[in-house]
Amino acid sequence: MKRTNPLVEGLLVVFVLAMVVPIGWMVVLAFQPGRTITSPEWDFAFTLGNFAALLAPGEPFLAQLGNSLAIVAGTVILCLAVGSLAGYVLSLLRLPRALTVVLLALAAFLPLVPPMALVPGLYVTLQNLGVLGTVQGLILLNTVFQLPFSVLLMKVYFDNVPPALREAALVDGATEARVFAAVMLPLVRPGLAAVGVFTAIMAWNEFLFGLTMTSGGVTSPLTVGIASLVQQYEVAWGEMAAAGSLAAVPIILLAIVANRQIVAGLSGGAVKG
Amino acid sequence: MRTARRPFGGFAGWAILPFAAFLAVFAVYPLAQLVRMAFSDVQLEQGLFTWSFAGVANFVRLLDDPIAVRAVVVTTIFTVSAVPASIVLGTLAAVLVDRSTLFTGLARNVILWPAVIAPVVVSLMWLLILSPNLGALNNLLATLGLPGQGWLGSPTGAMGAIIAVDVWHWTPVVFLIVYTALRGMDADVLAAARVDGASERQLLWHIVIPLLRPALVAAALIRLVMCVKAFDEVYLLTRGGPGSATTLVTLHIRNVFFDRVELGYGASYSVVIVAVVAAVLALWAAGRRWVIRANGNGVVTG
Repeated sequence: MKRTNPLVEGLLVVFVLAMVVPIGWMVVLAFQPGRTITSPEWDFAFTLGNFAALLAPGEPFLAQLGNSLAIVAGTVILCLAVGSLAGYVLSLLRLPRALTVVLLALAAFLPLVPPMALVPGLYVTLQNLGVLGTVQGLILLNTVFQLPFSVLLMKVYFDNVPPALREAALVDGATEARVFAAVMLPLVRPGLAAVGVFTAIMAWNEFLFGLTMTSGGVTSPLTVGIASLVQQYEVAWGEMAAAGSLAAVPIILLAIVANRQIVAGLSGGAVKG
Repeated sequence: MRTARRPFGGFAGWAILPFAAFLAVFAVYPLAQLVRMAFSDVQLEQGLFTWSFAGVANFVRLLDDPIAVRAVVVTTIFTVSAVPASIVLGTLAAVLVDRSTLFTGLARNVILWPAVIAPVVVSLMWLLILSPNLGALNNLLATLGLPGQGWLGSPTGAMGAIIAVDVWHWTPVVFLIVYTALRGMDADVLAAARVDGASERQLLWHIVIPLLRPALVAAALIRLVMCVKAFDEVYLLTRGGPGSATTLVTLHIRNVFFDRVELGYGASYSVVIVAVVAAVLALWAAGRRWVIRANGNGVVTG
């Protein structure tokens, strides 16, 4: 039915190249020794030295990688637990109307505010809780800024579950908690997958709170570590490219494998809500 | 049914509690602290805050701060350039992927890649390209026999660069929203118009784009919010420079709060920004409600 239009295909190739070339250039530089990077000619070689330098003992990179993984794990678990419970209540159970309005208003307001504007207040809050500069503190902040999205996306998935299922299970004598855990959660598995994948990427990529709430070095997440390499400018270009590749390539692979979940996450608030 | 009718409490009560607690502790409380700070003179001494009431002194100072005012202008220029550019490019990409016969699957996946990469890595990637001495772009120009440019070194070059990087990073989000809307379009409408003799161009302007309007509005709003919130890429690419040429509102707040350690003053600036966001949101919500009521239905959705 559709005919191949050379102009369409040509323009699309340009688009794809524009997306791939900057990423590919970084990955190529990650394997270049300093000699070919500083050369004005288009010389290419192959070395794993940049990765070795990053992972060498005494470098903060491994500790930062560990921090980022812990932040991702904590954020995903909290967002799934809190998000599915709240999404379920907002979708299928009854709350006092005033409470629903307040919660939804806050959930709508929070994603619109520049996080930087809240940093002074959040700084004081974390200090009062005694978690300033810790991984736990960053898990809490990442969670709160991903929760509005997680709750609303879970609500959308629960909205598609027929309420009769819950009533039937209750009539059969199940408690509300058991209905939720045994009947409802398995039905919204695609929603849980979308929330999990998307909040994992967001927590992995987060920079602003890592920068402002930690003192750097081994206490900071990976993104802050990469940023501190950038500050040294052209001295450590190979290492910079290697660190960037280590942060980006796993996420791109995830984007290929879990494309459907990412599409649901990226467009969740806009298309469905 | 019995439990659903029961007044607030039981399962619904404790299931909503974690979410409510998170919002109370990490949204309401910090906002309250922020407002309190904005009306205070806060000093940091040996890791402890000392607060004293300062009235509206912090807000009065804002009016005399040229960088604070300029940051609003810079943010506005950044936003009104980056949002339309990403809308146009994202829509073009969506139409191309929809029309393509050879690369649909590949392009649909690849075009999303920039949006999943950390902003920090995106900045790094573009530094490798834009750096004046070793960057790939100047190297390429030299190979072609053209003079290299300063790119991030000049005020207009730096502004152009942060806009271009933001558009590269977030056009995928627009693409995804518009592409989803495009796929959801009723094929019969298009077929009927074709039977009636409409040209492809008429089809695009009179049917496709009007039908895409809700998606385009949603994409524009999302991008608008993203541009006002932008921080990571610009902080790493230009540090707000040269001078204050690319100092966005968010970068200025960081400078005041962390470099100048003027906590009360930084908080007052934050409060103004949050208030502006809230006011714009309220106006938009009111306007939308008015439009829906005027139309008598819910066709206009954001």
